[in-house]
Amino acid sequence: MAVEQPTQPTLGDQIYDKLFHNYVWKSIFRTGYPNTPRNQMLVIATNVFLHLHPTRIHRTHVKITHTYCLGGLTFFMFLGLTVTGILLMFYYVPSVDRAYLDIQNIQTNVQFGQLMRNMHRWMAHAMVILVFLHMLRVFYTGAYKPPREFNWVVGVVLLVLTFLLSFTGYLLPWDQLAFWAITVGTNIAGSAPVLGPKTRFWLLGGFEVGPDALIRFYTLHVIGLPLLAAIFMAVHFWRIRRDGGLARPL
Amino acid sequence: MATVVVARPAARPTPRARDEEVLVWPDLVFVEFISALLFTMLLFILSFVMNAPLLDEANANVTNDPAKAPWYLLNLQELLLHMNAALAGIVVPTVWLIVLAAFPYFDRSSDGQGRWFADVNSVKNTVISLMVGFWGTLALILWNSGKVALWLKDWFGFSGGDTLAFLERSAALKDPSVVPWPDWADSIPYLWFNLKILDEGPGAGVTTFQKIDLPTLLVDIGIPAGFMVGLTCLLIYFFWKINWVHTRRDALITLMSGFVGAFLMLTIIGTAFRGPGQDLIWPWDLRTLEGIPGQE
Repeated sequence: MAVEQPTQPTLGDQIYDKLFHNYVWKSIFRTGYPNTPRNQMLVIATNVFLHLHPTRIHRTHVKITHTYCLGGLTFFMFLGLTVTGILLMFYYVPSVDRAYLDIQNIQTNVQFGQLMRNMHRWMAHAMVILVFLHMLRVFYTGAYKPPREFNWVVGVVLLVLTFLLSFTGYLLPWDQLAFWAITVGTNIAGSAPVLGPKTRFWLLGGFEVGPDALIRFYTLHVIGLPLLAAIFMAVHFWRIRRDGGLARPL
Repeated sequence: MATVVVARPAARPTPRARDEEVLVWPDLVFVEFISALLFTMLLFILSFVMNAPLLDEANANVTNDPAKAPWYLLNLQELLLHMNAALAGIVVPTVWLIVLAAFPYFDRSSDGQGRWFADVNSVKNTVISLMVGFWGTLALILWNSGKVALWLKDWFGFSGGDTLAFLERSAALKDPSVVPWPDWADSIPYLWFNLKILDEGPGAGVTTFQKIDLPTLLVDIGIPAGFMVGLTCLLIYFFWKINWVHTRRDALITLMSGFVGAFLMLTIIGTAFRGPGQDLIWPWDLRTLEGIPGQE
């Protein structure tokens, strides 16, 4: 009876071993390259970024038409906005004297500056649209129902935070579009009964859009609101897992 | 020899349906990766072909006309043209957000989750509510901006005159020649002392409560609030009558879809159809549109 003899490792096998079975790789990743079911589950369970996911998921949930990736894409926009936002912060000073010139400078003198600014702007619009569509997806698939009631509420808070993030960023270019949009926007806030004028004053740091408003919007835009949004997102994602993953028919 | 009988559950719990499950790596992670990649590419392409707008430097002395809020707030700005500012700008969005957050506490049934439009009638409920919200809002905007009156006159030679002017524009109800308001109607005292809360600086005054202006209250708050609440209830009632709404979930679908329709129409009108002086114009007559090359 013929016995299968071990064959010489191919060049591919040797390269694979060198890449994924070496001391350095194993110090970073506890598993080899995830090409076996065991490693595929381990990589999800042991990687700090991937462990937001369960290791297994119901097959209906990977169908693109179930979620259209809307929640994930909203989060992805948030990450992209953080990256492009940080790059823009290198060149932008939130003072009335410099803000507009800095934006012009970013567009004309900074390498890929115009591209970064465009990306930041269009990603912000995309995030607002995606978060709205995500809400509709959750609603029309009945995914707010028990036991996910509270996560829906967290989602509503995140929707408001997304609007506020976008709104505070709108003033920063300090052009006519920004100035009058924020004037109109804060006038809407100022129309509230009883607390309106005071709210407007607190938002703007004065009675009209000026240097104090710019620094307030900037601070809220680059640190205050993103921090708040990150906290609520952490709760949101955590609760998805705690509440049993994505909703599916009982 | 005595036999030891160990108590066992009659049946083991049914194992999780492993064959219904897939591994997150690669089945989900790759989908996420590809969608992220696709969006990055799309946004790169968009950023190459379309520049973010940058107008002249901010100048408080030169008013932009039309001065518009960011597009996602233009629905509120559009509402402001039709009703009391506090109602449109604060009360409506605040109440709506509270109602939205309260959805799962109103509809507590777990039925029909995890599937698109799982309930009977939910597709036609959604589509018709969306249409009613969308076109109904347009009809109300056209009516309240006097366009309907204009067209009636231009096309059919019909004019309501002074007495029927409220059929063309609700604001006409404030006019003493349309409704014979008594003299005291616009200043009904209800506080006999001067109450001022956090009232200071330019633009203050809204917090001074002393008198009620009945005609203004009716036109700016009563009628719009009545329309918003009344028409919504009417639609849900009608769907209940024709058996499209059976459960709380069905009522929420009507409410949400009607809202989406109205929200879309308000945003579209506010963004593309409002020109200088907030007059209704065609989009191609708008001079400054965000993000269109050569027009920023």
